[in-house]
Amino acid sequence: MKNIILLSICLGMQSCGKVELMPSTSHEIMATVKELKGEKAVLINVWALWCAPCVEEFPMIVDLGEEHHDLEVIFISADFDDQIGDVRAFLDQNGVHSISYIKDEKDEPFILGIHPSWTGSLPFTILYAKDSGNIVDFWEGKHPESRFRTTIEIALKS
Amino acid sequence: MLLFSMNEAAELAIGSSMPENTHQMIETNGKNLTLSDAKGDKGTLVIFSSNTCPWVIRWEDRYVSITESYSPKGIGVIAVNSNASRFDGHESLDEMARHARDKKYNFPYVQDPGSKLAKAFGATKTPHIYLFDNKGMLVYRGAIDDNARDAGSVDEPFLANAIEQLINDQPIEKSTSKAIGCSIKFP
Repeated sequence: MKNIILLSICLGMQSCGKVELMPSTSHEIMATVKELKGEKAVLINVWALWCAPCVEEFPMIVDLGEEHHDLEVIFISADFDDQIGDVRAFLDQNGVHSISYIKDEKDEPFILGIHPSWTGSLPFTILYAKDSGNIVDFWEGKHPESRFRTTIEIALKS
Repeated sequence: MLLFSMNEAAELAIGSSMPENTHQMIETNGKNLTLSDAKGDKGTLVIFSSNTCPWVIRWEDRYVSITESYSPKGIGVIAVNSNASRFDGHESLDEMARHARDKKYNFPYVQDPGSKLAKAFGATKTPHIYLFDNKGMLVYRGAIDDNARDAGSVDEPFLANAIEQLINDQPIEKSTSKAIGCSIKFP
């Protein structure tokens, strides 16, 4: 009976289990990061469906976000807007059920707005400290889970 | 603590000399080719590219049109595939030859053994564009333009502007730009 009630609520809301994908500029993303200073460490990961290393590391990052309650994971898709349906499906399949983001800005201002040292290569990851909001580390390309864990631990304590 | 890391050396700085210009690369016809072989009288355009990267696929029609426009005006063009860890698969020489035929490439497309050229340039992704003057000095680095998706909606044709300024002996107004791309698959 309880399951029937829950299912009915979900069907009525039409959004249970579905991610909200927000087109965003780098300025809007950075404003979100700034708001979280003092509350949570932040991990931004820029990815795309066509980027094999991005897709490979994606589930690991989702798991790390779920494991660390003081860590906010912000995924930003760099896919083209005609792929929004596929992006949403991928996020759903990988357990991302909250707000996620898709780039809504030309490449150069977006890249410079996320970090001026980033060349534009995907995936791109950047971590901000919980208390100070300062950048702890950033990297291009796929990296091992150990690097993510080490940097997250530093971010949570900074 | 800040431990920024990229796969290779920092990007080639504007004003640098063309590195590894005698590095033997393999053209799709099986012959060896170097950057020196591809030089033009007015300058040389080096494009790091790939057979499969969706961003290359969106932009590569513009490789062909830029070559059509500027090769007759003295710009040598060469596309380089530095995805060495994929040379046994999708980025093989056979696949490159097929891709070049399908896309009607009007410039040499070469394989970069060991990704040596990409490492020397500090190239990290595809497409990644480097324009040198006739003395082999880097004058522009970055993207082809500001709109991978639609050639008809480009606001800033970065590369074409730089080439026009180069061949007309004018200062390059915008010497660098950035765009999203696929990471180069180093060995």
